[in-house]
Amino acid sequence: MAEARWREDFPVRWDEDHYMTRRELAKFLTLGSGLLAGANLLIAFVGLTGHAPELPVRRIAADADIAPGTSRLFRYPTDDDPCILVRDTSGRLTAYSQVCTHLSCAVVYQPDEGALGCPCHRGVFDAADGRPIAGPPTRRLPRIRLEQRGADILATGVEV
Amino acid sequence: METRQQGTTLFSAILVLIATLVVIQLWLVAAALEALLARDIGVLVPTAAASAALFLMSAGLLWYVIAFDERLRHWGWRG
Repeated sequence: MAEARWREDFPVRWDEDHYMTRRELAKFLTLGSGLLAGANLLIAFVGLTGHAPELPVRRIAADADIAPGTSRLFRYPTDDDPCILVRDTSGRLTAYSQVCTHLSCAVVYQPDEGALGCPCHRGVFDAADGRPIAGPPTRRLPRIRLEQRGADILATGVEV
Repeated sequence: METRQQGTTLFSAILVLIATLVVIQLWLVAAALEALLARDIGVLVPTAAASAALFLMSAGLLWYVIAFDERLRHWGWRG
């Protein structure tokens, strides 16, 4: 027997459809609860047992190359990690990862504000210590440890 | 005496409770990940312990409601 034409537009037979019972939903949610607890334990395990890898020492600039109130870009610890070296107006050197901790846009130095600004969502970080002071970011910028040897500025590690 | 109506209401209430606990656990996972990325290690153990406790509560509620349902099936219902 041919199907009615309306059936083409409404092909689901509700009386043959599979419905999830409340018991199944409760079991499913409890299983999800177990998985989330496992994920939390895994995160705690990784956090407690993981250790920072040994990072290379790399020359990133000559001291004379960077004037007060300017910045210079470099890559550290690998060529895929953009960073920014800042000399503030008082002459103090600091360096941070250039990747915004909000959504990974590149931050730029704003010497007038003494800050690093993210142009994507107007996040602002303090250039003195990298902590977020405005906008959506909640975590500070990873800080690059610096060392001066003679006329060279070297990157020696990363402080998250 | 336990009735069918009581069972239905109880099951719905416990379902909502378990769903609420799961939402809190989701928030805990997000907070723990954020803390891990910020190397804020002190937060990780309390969040893991809280999440495990919430899971035990969910499992306890599920066990209770299933036992209630079994009792109901065994003794029949009046409603």
